[in-house]
Parts: sequence; structure tokens; C-alpha cells
Amino acid sequence: MSLATPTTPRLSGPTQGNDAATALAITGLRKTYGERTVLDGVNLEVKAGELIALLGANGSGKSTVLKCVVGLADIDGGAVEVAGHRVDGHAGRKHHDAAMVFQQIHLVKRSTVLENVCSGALGRLPYSRSWSRSAFPKELREEAMACLDRVGLADRAHDRAGSLSGGQQQRVAIARALCQRAPVLLADEPVSALDPAAAEQVMELLRSLADDDHMAVAAVLHQPDLARRWADRAVGLIRGQLSFSCPPTELTEQMLGELYAPDRG
Amino acid sequence: MSLNLLPTPGPAAAPPSSARRLAVPPRRRGVGGTVTALVVIALLVAAHAWGWKTTEFSLPQLAAGWQGMVGFLSDAFPMDLDWESVVLPGLQACGVTLAIGLMGTTLSIPSSLLLAVLGSRATSRNPIVYQVARAIMSFFRAVPDIVFALIFVTAVGLGPFAGVLALILHNTGVMAKLWSEAMEEMDQGPVQALRVAGASSAQITTHVVIPSVIPQFTGLLLYRFDVNVRSSLVLGLVGAGGIGFLINQSISLFKFDQMMTYILMVLVLVIVVDVLSGMIRKRLNA
Repeated sequence: MSLATPTTPRLSGPTQGNDAATALAITGLRKTYGERTVLDGVNLEVKAGELIALLGANGSGKSTVLKCVVGLADIDGGAVEVAGHRVDGHAGRKHHDAAMVFQQIHLVKRSTVLENVCSGALGRLPYSRSWSRSAFPKELREEAMACLDRVGLADRAHDRAGSLSGGQQQRVAIARALCQRAPVLLADEPVSALDPAAAEQVMELLRSLADDDHMAVAAVLHQPDLARRWADRAVGLIRGQLSFSCPPTELTEQMLGELYAPDRG
Repeated sequence: MSLNLLPTPGPAAAPPSSARRLAVPPRRRGVGGTVTALVVIALLVAAHAWGWKTTEFSLPQLAAGWQGMVGFLSDAFPMDLDWESVVLPGLQACGVTLAIGLMGTTLSIPSSLLLAVLGSRATSRNPIVYQVARAIMSFFRAVPDIVFALIFVTAVGLGPFAGVLALILHNTGVMAKLWSEAMEEMDQGPVQALRVAGASSAQITTHVVIPSVIPQFTGLLLYRFDVNVRSSLVLGLVGAGGIGFLINQSISLFKFDQMMTYILMVLVLVIVVDVLSGMIRKRLNA
């Protein structure tokens, strides 16, 4: 299985992207749900062409960071900048510079693969060109085909999304995110529901989006091993606070033990 | 355990089942649960006692009046199966009934869809619009179709058209509610995914919600068609035409043998519609 063969560990990490532009900048991000503080002053920068892995135990706030960036959650303090634009602190009012893929994939299963990918562009289409699928402009369909080709699924364009395997569906979801033309891609546990081979394929794709398309990719991962092999940087969150941010080669068992220590709090 | 896999030779085979057992710990039941159960039972008994009195439920009265029923039934049999005067008009009237149900169901699709989209939490983000849509649905649902039929008869006269109009209004209320709930029950994940991509509520409705719930919508539509054909029978009783109208007529003329023929036709019609819509719905769910 050649796909599963990891590329050589990334040597560079922080040094590589010194001259690259910062695509995502999070400073002092705070988020509370009622009495509970979920994020307590998180600082994080992701440069164009960089793939970072967000690690942390369940409830550490790593998914919440992503939700704050895309506007699925309100920001209670601090600032988030995506591609130089300040993100408004209120859920509902958003920009489309950050795309997101989910663990549960969230495609419209009964629609075709191509229709799903086209829908990534809805944010920039007026209702007159999007009131129905038949109103989509030809250029959009062709752009969507190119996105599908990018993830290696151009031959499945007219299949129902629900008929694809989990790994293929996740790649369609990534194609949908590409069709959004966002410079930042957030992935919330993109491979947790996939088998190892499919997970490798998706990670390889995310890696290549950073390397070849110069996207800034931030992925929440549950397997430190994947972070070691694919990410430029590993970021650890403990109870809403940054615990480490280092090249994944420097991850020690002690750091991970602390990260996943049971019965905290 | 793995020992059992080996065939045991010799006459004395291993004891059949020596599976490990563990006593079931007693389940703790609070006094509160028992008290609640007793109160609920008492309330139910009281409600039915009241219902018994209110409806003057009396089996002796039924037994005493049996001759009335026998007289009625002896008038009803043998059924009047005269082709020219009974069966043919009956079949035509069944067609009218079916047509009322069909038109009433199909023509209520646009209004139902509009109300469902405006009155579903999945698609309607404005609380005022949502509440107004829910109120309109409740109103159309609360007013029985027979009342709508009586109103429309005053406008367009006796006949099937009044029945169709009545069904459209009542069915709009019911189907909009069923559809809006189907949309609320759908998986919100894809909706969230497209919100992130910057899609508007209207775009999400057309590209996520409606495509996802098409099977549920079709199933509910067929179910409503089934119900509406049966309702259009009752509408016939108030003058909206169809087989219900013929039944009403034969009763008022004391022609119970004709009435029996019509009732048999109704039975067949209802069963056919029920079986057909059931078959299609099964296909859809498969």
C-alpha cells in the first residue's frame, strides 16, 4: 500500500515558513459556555503552506478553536484574523476565508458528488445563480470538477455522495472546501472515523494542500502518531490553554502523558 | 472455554452447559414510582368513568334495540346491484371522490411547502416569520375540512369543486406541519457545513434541506393522499359530490339496499388506495 507510506518526517517546521505569510492568527482567544471557560487565552499562528496538528484530550477545547474561527461559535475575547481579515465575534456573521471539514463529513448524501462540491461556492453566488442546481454557472461546475480531480475523484462526479466509502466522502468534503477558495482549511478530526488506509490518504491530501497549494491547514487529530508523520507543528491544548507548540519530532512521551492524563479537573 | 471445542470421546460426554451464572441484584424501586403509578391509574379510571356517563354508554340499551338493526339490515340485503341505476353511477361517483382527493392533495403542495419552509426551525431563522407560519398551519389544521366545505359551497355551489377547495386548505395545514417536522428531524451537520461556506438560509434550504428530505416528503404526501380520499367521502355527505353524496342520498330516500352497494364500493376504493400508497411508501423507504 504505497499510499500508507509516510513521507520522510518534516525537518523544517517553524524555520521553513519564516517568509510565508500568516494566514491564520489567533491572539488571546477566550470562549466561555455559561460558567465554564473553554478557551482561556489561546494564541496560535498558522502560515500559508503550513500543516499544524491540534492535539488534546476530549473537552480540551481544540474543536472550539476551529468553531470560533469559522463563526460556528461566538468569540468572548481576543481576536481572530483570517487572511488579514478580522473575524467578527458573533456567530452568524461570517467571512468565507476559512473552510472546514468535519469528522462526520456532513455531505448531502442524496445529492451527487459534483453537486456537493459546487455547494462550497454558495457563499459567493447570488441567489439568481443558485436558487436551484440547474442555475449554477458552467464555470462553477468546471471549477468543481477541477477540485474533484485534485482529490482524485473526478470519475465519481455523478455518483450519489452516499454511495462512496467514508474515505472518499471525506475527500469530497475537502473538494467542497477547495471550491470555497479559502486560503485556510480547518479539519475537525478529519480521519477519526476512517480506517487506517483511508486516513493515510486523507492526511496525504492535507499535506499536499499545504505543500503544493500553499494553504494553511489546521487539523484536530486524536492520534499523535499521525501528527508526528504529517504535521509541521504539533500544538497541545490542556483545558483551554496552550501547553506546547513544537515540531512534532520534539514530541515526548511525557508531553503526551500530560496531555492525555486521565481524571483531570 | 476452549476445552469445549474439542470433541470429548467416551460415553460420559461433558455436562451440556456449565456456563457461569451470577445472581441478578435486586432492582431498587422507590416509593415515589409506585405512588405515581397509582395516581395515574386513578386518574385514568376517573376519566373513563366520566366518559362512560357523558356518552350515555349503555349495553342494555343496545341489546333492547336489536330489532331496529335487524330491520335496517334486512332492508339493506340483498344489495341493489342494478347496473344502470346503481352500480354505474356508483363507479362514476367513486371516480369523483378519488379526483377530489387527488386534486386536493396535489394542489396543496405549493402552499404546504411554503408554510413548511417558513415554519420549520431548520429553515426559518426569523422568529416572527416562524411563529406566524406556525399559527397559520394551526388554524388550517384546527378547522375541519367539512367546515371549509360548507363555506365554499356557499361560494361555488354544491359539487366537487367545493370539496377540492376545502381539502386544499385543510391539507395545507396538516401537510405543512408534517413536512416542517420532517425537516427539523434531519441531520443538521450538512446545514452547518454550508453555513461555514457562507451559504444563506435560502441557499441552504434549496441545496441541503429539501434534497435531504425528499423521501420523507413523498411518503407523507402519499399518506395524506390516502387520508384525503377518505375525507372526500365525508365531504360528499355535505354536498361536495362523489360517492359520499350518493350514500347520503340513498339514506334520505330509505334505499338501504343501494346504500349497501355504495358502502361496499367505498370499502374497495379505500383498500385499493391504502394498499397502493403503502406499497409505494415501502419502496421509497427501501
